[in-house]
Amino acid sequence: MVADILVAEDILKEENAERLCSFNNIEVYYIPVRKFKTITISFFFIDTLSKDTVSKNALVPAVLRRGCKSYPTMSDISLRLEELYGGSFDCGVAKKGEYHVIYFHTECIAEKYVADMKDFFKKPFELIVDIITSPVIENGIFKREYVVQEKESLKRLIERRVNDKVQYAIERCFEEMCKDEPFGIYDYGDISGLKEVSESSLYEHYKNIIDNYPLKVFVTGDVPIEKLEWIKQNLLKIRHNGEKDYNNKYNGEYFLAESNKVEEVKQVTEHMAVNQAKLSLGFRTNVLPTEKDYYPLIVFDSILGGGVYSKLFQKVREEAGLAYYIFSQLEKFKGLLLITCGIEIKDRNRAVDIILKQIDSIKSGNITQYEHESAIKSIETGISFLKDNQLKITDYYFSQILATTNDNFQTLADKIERVSIEDVINVSKKIELDTIYFLASNGQ
Amino acid sequence: MQETLKFDKIGEVMHKYRHGSGLNAFVITKKGYSKKYTVFATHYGSINNEFIDPYDNNTIKMPEGIAHFLEHKLFDQKEGSIIDKFSELGSSPNAYTSFNKTVYLFSCTERFDENLGLLLSFVQNPYFTELGVEKEKDIIKQEINMFRDNPGWRAFFNLLESLYVMNPVKNDIVGNHESIEKIDKEMLYKCYNIFYHPSNMVIFVIGDVDEERVFNQIESSISKKHKIGEIKRLFPEEPKEINREYIEEKMAVATPIFQMGFKDDTYNLKGEELLMREIAVKILLEIFMGRSSQLYNQLYEEGLINNTFEFNYTAEENYAYSTIGGESIEPGKVKEKIIDTVCFLLKDGINKEDFQRVKKSLYGKLIRWFNSQEKVSEMFISGYFKGINIFDYFNIYDKINLEYLNHVMKGHFNLDRFAVSVIQGI
Repeated sequence: MVADILVAEDILKEENAERLCSFNNIEVYYIPVRKFKTITISFFFIDTLSKDTVSKNALVPAVLRRGCKSYPTMSDISLRLEELYGGSFDCGVAKKGEYHVIYFHTECIAEKYVADMKDFFKKPFELIVDIITSPVIENGIFKREYVVQEKESLKRLIERRVNDKVQYAIERCFEEMCKDEPFGIYDYGDISGLKEVSESSLYEHYKNIIDNYPLKVFVTGDVPIEKLEWIKQNLLKIRHNGEKDYNNKYNGEYFLAESNKVEEVKQVTEHMAVNQAKLSLGFRTNVLPTEKDYYPLIVFDSILGGGVYSKLFQKVREEAGLAYYIFSQLEKFKGLLLITCGIEIKDRNRAVDIILKQIDSIKSGNITQYEHESAIKSIETGISFLKDNQLKITDYYFSQILATTNDNFQTLADKIERVSIEDVINVSKKIELDTIYFLASNGQ
Repeated sequence: MQETLKFDKIGEVMHKYRHGSGLNAFVITKKGYSKKYTVFATHYGSINNEFIDPYDNNTIKMPEGIAHFLEHKLFDQKEGSIIDKFSELGSSPNAYTSFNKTVYLFSCTERFDENLGLLLSFVQNPYFTELGVEKEKDIIKQEINMFRDNPGWRAFFNLLESLYVMNPVKNDIVGNHESIEKIDKEMLYKCYNIFYHPSNMVIFVIGDVDEERVFNQIESSISKKHKIGEIKRLFPEEPKEINREYIEEKMAVATPIFQMGFKDDTYNLKGEELLMREIAVKILLEIFMGRSSQLYNQLYEEGLINNTFEFNYTAEENYAYSTIGGESIEPGKVKEKIIDTVCFLLKDGINKEDFQRVKKSLYGKLIRWFNSQEKVSEMFISGYFKGINIFDYFNIYDKINLEYLNHVMKGHFNLDRFAVSVIQGI
């Protein structure tokens, strides 16, 4: 299949993602941003979250970064990055709703700062492609030593989740809430699933990813059109055809599935040796990112717990003095909302009570002009700030594509600007409490 | 008084302005950036609890954690919390306290003048009440509890507590429940009046702004206070030796966490000398145990470390130390391998090729940092209080040669001043 012809340079808009071409289930996007000193290249392979593939997906990038054809050890890759003026390389997996994304990312300074290397721009691209497509092979599969070590390393990564109690209390609440849904699966899988992965099944899975999984490639920075053309030509070599298509989750049906319905609020308490207890409350918003209600939902989240002006910060921290930190956050793809804070164990019921009162207060129409305006301005500021970071720009547009929403920074800001107090009150009525998760010290 | 500093190599320009009060302000213009980022910082942090009051020459000793407490309370103004006013403008103010500085900042996209006005106003107008101070104690105790559950933070402070016998850098920035209880309104005012004098402060703005307007606003908004004499910060004498070689604490962690490091015995370095040493030790650490090094790869392959492994070097006038941290099933073995490598390199010296490559890599990373307003700002302020201009970071690389590197290596990597801190699982 022949790739599309590249778009003309003069229609490329600063800070907008332009799809340059698509072929064999690969799409290439370029985001021109001339103010940065670096260019970035990101690869995203997309899968749906499932128990069968989660561990393998997590292991593949871990094994790939151990070495490739031109740079067969991790040390060789690092030496290469040092030669490329301290370029960075990173890879891993991330959960976006019920998608499981395998990402590879590299960043290097722009060619104009380099005097002693010809065609500097090509080097990081060649390196990342080599890492992804030419792993170190032994007996027709991945090098055994690398797989064994990375399985052990991944096991430790899963175990060390408990080290960061703030994040742990967020993730565990989501997991308890979505126990019987794919979303309840941890990004890096679990230890029993990891044990079952054999070296041969891992390599087979890797081949399947490279040959068939939907792939989105993003380039950001100041890159002339002929260099983009060169990137495209080189990507054509990766894959001759591609089959697997990820299901479009945003037809609305899966939100209404039986398992998603809240019948009774779940109460989960976990014990650990901690000085400070963590309280998380998980909610179903019943709002899809493709729906009109999604924009008022963003404003709702902000008024509730998005900043220092928010009801939760004001009531729980400033008035009651129960917590140092408290905030809410949205899980856009799955339509969830979560509130989390760190408190004294004895204050649990009081904190739950104050938190739920704030939501009821919004539901009954209690939003001040100040809260509404502060929330909207704060969201708009946040959107603008995304534009100052290449990784955030890339992630923003990649998420837009996944959610099949087509907002650029400006259209998103415009839609937020138009959200009225009434819109927020209306959307708040859809929100249901699902799970109360409490992490407390032993023996209490 | 105004001047312009250019740095053509990376296309950056910095404007400087000196206010009559002794305060300096700097602007780096970043065309095309949405964010306008401003910090207003004082050269006063958690280690400055003992000093001579320049108003009456009395020696003062304050409770631990007071600089951080003051940072919290400055947001409360007579007419309520200043945060509400920033929120109305859609911007987010913030602040943090470190060992030797307290930094107030905001980032905004629009109505920059109004935001700057708020920042200049609230930092210059303390309003402490007994009731407000008492209430803040509860919130800060929760903050202390949060840090107590953070194994990385605990490992770090346990290391400093092992490296240092007397130096207050060993104490937690936020203080502790007991020290916080002692703080009252009068103490806060006393510290404020001394350390928040404009001559002890600096303003730094980075973003797509007009420097003339910024400087005009600063000219009219900074109060022309009476000059005060030099603030004498007192530090107990620190012996060359470390406090203890090993410390362990038990917490809810899956894999043990470690921090180990060397304590420097050089004091009172300033300006370029201090910066040269800082960059030299960073180059050395990178050569010793960076991602491309034999040591890192050996430890990784043997399953003794994972990619949480990291290292750093901090150099200030009154203290300097390196930190090497991460997770390991056997921190003791990591320690042994590090010591072996250090001994080997001390004997053999640094390889020229490694030196050139790592230098190039760190230089490129420095250029990359200029993408981030936050990073530039942090680098600027830490440098400023040490007497270093941010563009000097680039020039210093050319001044470091192999001979100097080997000299610094022998001074810093002294196994008699090496300590290990481990957090074990329960």
